[in-house]
Amino acid sequence: MKTPPDENQLVRYLDDEMDLAEKNTFEASLAADAELRAEIESMSRLGAVLRSAMPDGRDVPHPDFFNSQIQVRLAEEKQAHVREFHAPAQVGGWLGWMRTPWFAAAATAVIAVVAFGFWQDRHSAPTGLSVVLSTYAPNPSVHAHSFHSGEAQATVLMLDGLASVPPDRQIVGQQVHHSDMDRQVATTPLFSDEGRVLLVRAVDGRNQPRLLEHTR
Amino acid sequence: MPHSLTAARLFFITLMACGGGGVLNGQPAATSFEASPIIRKPATDGKVWGGLIFASPKGKGTGVAKGDLPAGLRDLPVRLGKVFQFAHFELLGQHTQDVFREYESWVVPSKDLFLKVDSKGKAGGGGINLHLQFWQEQQVLVKTDAVLREGSPLFISGPKWRDGQLIFVLMLTMPED
Repeated sequence: MKTPPDENQLVRYLDDEMDLAEKNTFEASLAADAELRAEIESMSRLGAVLRSAMPDGRDVPHPDFFNSQIQVRLAEEKQAHVREFHAPAQVGGWLGWMRTPWFAAAATAVIAVVAFGFWQDRHSAPTGLSVVLSTYAPNPSVHAHSFHSGEAQATVLMLDGLASVPPDRQIVGQQVHHSDMDRQVATTPLFSDEGRVLLVRAVDGRNQPRLLEHTR
Repeated sequence: MPHSLTAARLFFITLMACGGGGVLNGQPAATSFEASPIIRKPATDGKVWGGLIFASPKGKGTGVAKGDLPAGLRDLPVRLGKVFQFAHFELLGQHTQDVFREYESWVVPSKDLFLKVDSKGKAGGGGINLHLQFWQEQQVLVKTDAVLREGSPLFISGPKWRDGQLIFVLMLTMPED
């Protein structure tokens, strides 16, 4: 009785993954078996149709932001896992859920996540320090990256690729004591320590911030 | 404070009235207003200090006076020098600001570079979860999610200017409630 080639062999042949000896053997089988040839042709046609109908890939809009949000989601899930691990079990159910089939896999995953968390903490930012979780620079020529400086005892967000401020431009600082949100007109007056209005933040028609100087 | 709010509202509405709602350089017009109602202080998640620093190879001024800096950040020039290869650090402007729980907050040590701060609640292990937007006039340079913790400042490298660089420093200055 003829031994039919398994599906894996067919796929490997179509994907040209066989070595020469294996390919010769398979093609000898193919020459002798009309049914097998028909199968190969059918699979080949199906592959061609699928390739023509589906693009190889599609660009993700704003890939940096996409990646940063994935990092945020991973961090949130890590925290959720840790909370779940430390959450008290329900009374009467603690032995039951330990016997469930997914417990070993889940426990392994949680232990790995916790171990990774400890490792990451030891190698990036110790507890008690500020942390940058994600960054997104709308201008693609700007590259944002962060690190912790032990010497400076600070977290640093570096923005490479920013355009320089023209040297003749005056950068004027303000000594702002505080600001309040005026919800009635959606503005933010900024006050000096004497209670004098220095600036008023408003928004323009494109919802962009505008800082208006208060002169009188 | 109500007096200041009234002045601010008067100023803003006058500008809007004279400038068509979007033009910002109108002349003030005579307008009368009722007194501001008493506004309840919104809930906050903490307080931040934001400073705009000009780092340069050699400064003309006296640099950052320790008295200008918040407690816990008196050695800011030394700490900045560990990260940014400049000899002189000048404090151009600063702003101490409550971080509102339900509203956006703005930290504006300068009209040129400022920060929008949205609280995302208290962070586990202390500090505040924040969404920050670093603005240069009408352009947002970077958006970031961060955990800001007391005693641990965030240095944001800004654009180059003249022979140096602008640096924004943000620090949580007050223990949370």
